[in-house]
Amino acid sequence: MSELVLSAWSVVSPYGVGSDPFSEGIGAGRSAVDALDREAWPGPFDRCGLVPDFTAAKYVGKKGTRTMDRVTAIAVTAVGRLLASCGDELTARPEQVGLVLGTGSGSVQSIMDFTRDSLAGERPYHVDPACFPNTVMNRAAGQSAIWHGIKGPNTTVAGGWLTGLLALSYAVRLHRGGHCARVLCGAAEEYSTQRAWLEWHGRGADEQSTPLGEGGAVFLMETAADAHAAGRAPLARILATRFGAYAERADAQQALADCVRSAVRRAGVAPEDIRLVAPLGADGKLGALEESGITDALGAAKPEWIRCRPLLGDTSAASTSLQLAAVLATAGESGLGPGEAALVTGIDRDGTVGCAVLGGADPS
Amino acid sequence: MTTAKQVDADSRATIKGIICNILEIDPDEMTDTSRFKEDHAADSMGAIEILSQLERAFGIDIDQAELARMVNLEGVATVVGEAMTAKASQ
Repeated sequence: MSELVLSAWSVVSPYGVGSDPFSEGIGAGRSAVDALDREAWPGPFDRCGLVPDFTAAKYVGKKGTRTMDRVTAIAVTAVGRLLASCGDELTARPEQVGLVLGTGSGSVQSIMDFTRDSLAGERPYHVDPACFPNTVMNRAAGQSAIWHGIKGPNTTVAGGWLTGLLALSYAVRLHRGGHCARVLCGAAEEYSTQRAWLEWHGRGADEQSTPLGEGGAVFLMETAADAHAAGRAPLARILATRFGAYAERADAQQALADCVRSAVRRAGVAPEDIRLVAPLGADGKLGALEESGITDALGAAKPEWIRCRPLLGDTSAASTSLQLAAVLATAGESGLGPGEAALVTGIDRDGTVGCAVLGGADPS
Repeated sequence: MTTAKQVDADSRATIKGIICNILEIDPDEMTDTSRFKEDHAADSMGAIEILSQLERAFGIDIDQAELARMVNLEGVATVVGEAMTAKASQ
């Protein structure tokens, strides 16, 4: 059985739309978090990693986007750019292309706006019916597929900060189960005043001041054989994903260390082969526990650390997908080298840990 | 049976604005008799949106059965006029 690889990716990030500004920004270690226009974005935060000048009309088109919400537009844009970079052959058999997209809660702005209209309007049914589809969690995944003519399995995955890793893992299983020949997988998150308030109230005191961010990343997953046949050089092999849980916060370090050890063992790589590590890097205790857990598992290895959180803000459900994109951006156009590996990790405050191990392209 | 009042020019302009916004077309493209579905690519969702937004804008109730008559601007203006008359007589 041919190995699964990531062979293309696209990003919408606070650096701008596209993988070039993202690669440049991550490479330079330049923060994309900036002052928020408080008139346009009231709420608890005055700084944010906002995708600059992003609107559905500007990036998706004026037609058919009147009621498209921000997270949907980010996802549709990211998927569209990925498809455009791969050429028509990719969707020649659209029913064989799956889409797995991670989300926080869908668009909490859409959900709250619609509910408020119903409660505050003269009649409960005096709502804009065209906005109703935005209130379901799978709106972004569904629209991304419909907009671009993708007809394979369409899945929405939600799992807090680990969403991107869970989506990657789900996509591997979807492919292994024979449900599609190729999978587009990733995650998207929007900034809104509504999400900002939810985050503000849900956070512990030690992470209260972390600015939020938004964006999305989408990856093409296919077999190495299919990638080569299409003329795409694999950027990374997907060697292992692992997830675990902890009950008490103090146990998170051990839970992640166990998770990483297990994944590295499954991947068949040595800790010192791991060239890049991209942790979630939450502020406060969890971030410190995460780094310690990784160090416990990798021992004396001295990888290069890619820390997205200070550069992009807390991108919630998109976090681990953007970390994965940062690994590919750092690896460069030819991807991870033979014998190299990379590790993406996360600890969610709700008690889950997870990681993925990627390997360099097989030299054969 | 009351005679339907035609809506005034302001109301007609409001109706046209709502419909053009929903159908994402320029007001110049729409005539009194151009058909939403055939000429402006409206779908059933668009029809429901038009009905719903008119109810909110004019504070009227429109039965969904009226959708059969709401196929162009002229038809909508008539239905809205009748609904406004019905409301006034309540």
